[in-house]
Amino acid sequence: MGEPAIDVHGLRKRFGEKEAVAGIDLKIAVGSLAGLVGPNGAGKTTSLSMMTGLLRPDAGRVVVNGLDVWADPVAVKAIIGVVPAETRLFERLSGAEMLEYAGRLRGLPTAQARSRAVQLLDVLDLAADAKRLVADYSTGMRKKAALGCALIHNPSVLFLDEPLEGVDPVSADVIRRLLKRLADSGSTVLFSSHVMELVEQVCDHVSIIDKGRIVKTGTTAQVRDGKTLQQAFIDLIGPRSSEEEGLSWLGSSSS
Amino acid sequence: MARVLVQLKLRLLLNALRSSTTAGTTFILSTVFALVVAVGVFYVLARFRGLSASVDLTTVIFTVFAFGWLIAPIMSFGLDGTLDPAALQLYPLRTRPLAAGLVAASAAGAWPLANLLALLGATVGLARGVLGVLVALIAVPLQVLFCITLARLVTTSMARMLRSRRGKDLAALLFIPIFALVELLGQVVPRAAAKGGITAASFNGIDSWLRWLPPGLAVHAIQDASTGRPGAAVARLAMLAAVIVALGWLWVRSLNRALVTADTSAQSTQVRSGALPLARYGVRGAVAARFWIYQRREPTSLIYWAIPAIIMVVVSIGSIVNRPVHPGVVIASAVIGAGLVGYLHANSAGLTGPAFVIEALALTSRRSLRAYFSGQNIALSVIAVPLLTAISFGLALAIGDPMQAAPAIAVALAGLGAALGLSNVLTVTLAYPMAARTGSPLRQAAPGYTSYTLGGILASLVGVAIAVTPVIIAAAVSSGVPAAVRIPVLLTCSAAYGFALAWAGVQVAARDAETRLPELCQIAIHST
Repeated sequence: MGEPAIDVHGLRKRFGEKEAVAGIDLKIAVGSLAGLVGPNGAGKTTSLSMMTGLLRPDAGRVVVNGLDVWADPVAVKAIIGVVPAETRLFERLSGAEMLEYAGRLRGLPTAQARSRAVQLLDVLDLAADAKRLVADYSTGMRKKAALGCALIHNPSVLFLDEPLEGVDPVSADVIRRLLKRLADSGSTVLFSSHVMELVEQVCDHVSIIDKGRIVKTGTTAQVRDGKTLQQAFIDLIGPRSSEEEGLSWLGSSSS
Repeated sequence: MARVLVQLKLRLLLNALRSSTTAGTTFILSTVFALVVAVGVFYVLARFRGLSASVDLTTVIFTVFAFGWLIAPIMSFGLDGTLDPAALQLYPLRTRPLAAGLVAASAAGAWPLANLLALLGATVGLARGVLGVLVALIAVPLQVLFCITLARLVTTSMARMLRSRRGKDLAALLFIPIFALVELLGQVVPRAAAKGGITAASFNGIDSWLRWLPPGLAVHAIQDASTGRPGAAVARLAMLAAVIVALGWLWVRSLNRALVTADTSAQSTQVRSGALPLARYGVRGAVAARFWIYQRREPTSLIYWAIPAIIMVVVSIGSIVNRPVHPGVVIASAVIGAGLVGYLHANSAGLTGPAFVIEALALTSRRSLRAYFSGQNIALSVIAVPLLTAISFGLALAIGDPMQAAPAIAVALAGLGAALGLSNVLTVTLAYPMAARTGSPLRQAAPGYTSYTLGGILASLVGVAIAVTPVIIAAAVSSGVPAAVRIPVLLTCSAAYGFALAWAGVQVAARDAETRLPELCQIAIHST
């Protein structure tokens, strides 16, 4: 690997007694489409927040395209795009206004912000709803609008937290194709997800995180180790609940 | 069914009590307040005994209670899980037992019982003789039953609408007239009553039309029974019962429909232009455009403008009732109005909520942060300047001293600049997460941050008061100068002074925000 696009070293964060992120080391190559998978509460959102300058780490270093996130946040934020897990947008703006606003905040000339907004809405299948208020958008539409906001300045590194959570299959396919296209063009994408099939299908690099630590990282084939990613994940993390005992009444044959 | 739903209601109340210290405290305070209202209204109704307007006054109070039952469920939709028929849609329930159960559930709780206890004051204040008291003991529960049925009908009929964004917006906007009414009743009426402006005789004849409304029927039934007309009393009670049955029938029909109708709250709002205004003015213009749009489309923003406007008017009108009017009252209103505008728009990150992250990801340099704060101030000024100017001018006319308008407007302009500058600084230095409050259109400080709210109000009002002192002194000193010279100079200098204060606030806020953006983001993310 040459100079990595994302280089994380010794990243830590503690909330009171709980160590949410317990020292993460991660290298993602330029042009890679990388997945970060882990059970609920593993530290995915906390890690991504610290990598994107939204949460100050207790310790560690994050370098994106050679720029230190916490030493030079202005330069880093200019080259990254972020889709947070909580896709709370400006509810009282229309989809078109929302994307244009994101573009203008990023310093794009108004005409360029508007034309890119139109193109993105079109690709994201939101053109027909461009003048509807975001407040009236469904979950999938919100995710797509948030992705549009993150892409409007053509970031070289894109971070997404659970981009497909609550998204219908058609919207999920639109998002998946867009991420693939972005990575194919040389940009780097890192996203967290619970959808193993998606990660297995589109990612060339996978990291499994549990209890605030990266337990396995590498190419998708290395992490799978001959199994499905789902199985490899369960083997690594271990089952979280006991077998369903005591439900003998459940089922049509019982009363 | 009734038992199950009453148990559900009591469990919900109990869970609210246990869920957190704040919720528990709120629940206890609400219960204590209900008790105070019950005892207070009982006492007031009892005191009407012997007054010539006792029947009019009792009718007014009964009608006010019915109005409260009509409005409260719309405002508190979602507060009571038993109110929304959709929550019961999946269960195999027949409509009639369900309706009876929902009525019983509505009657459980501190406020319905307080309502019953309070109105029983009519047994002392209005009822005469055994027959009068007996009819009162029937009329009051019937009045409470009427209130419950009316509230149920309104909630069920509007359930689909109230679940939608538009319905919630409508409920939020209802806050404005209710707030105005509460302020008027709480501030102006007691002062007017103390000065003899409102007496019991003022209500004479008010029930000539209220008597035909259901609360009036209940009150007049008691009156008829007390004055030896039992036939008329029974007829009125029968009419009231018929109204309740009719409302109940409508409600059951509505409930039947609601249980098998899909929740289609998908009506959406289309905007006319897809583009943001102020295209030529860069980040500052984009932020100003976003804030400007929000002032028009967000009901909470409208409420945040209504609050200072109503308080400015109430502060002055409350004083105007007590003639002679002190000339400083309009200036005091201007200071309070400007201070409230600043306070209500401070804590921008918390108010914006998680969407602030989109802004924070782009606003990183001090320059862009200056553009952010100044864009926000520009949008707010476009509304605040004409609003405060018009109210100050109107109040000066109302006190019969139009010359007070110039110093009041001067104070408003300077105060507004100070308030906006301070609100920018408070956005960074006194930021706190906001939490949605069930049953209220206004969000409040998240648990543990109440002191921040108080600090914000205090800082804003005291800061504005101190900042406008030079303007007040200048207005007083220049009172002998001809108006043609004094007014333009005073207004221009005050506006320039206000602008300078706002500019200074923007500089300080941008400098501090540069190093605090991650913390502001976390506050925004934790806001609901």
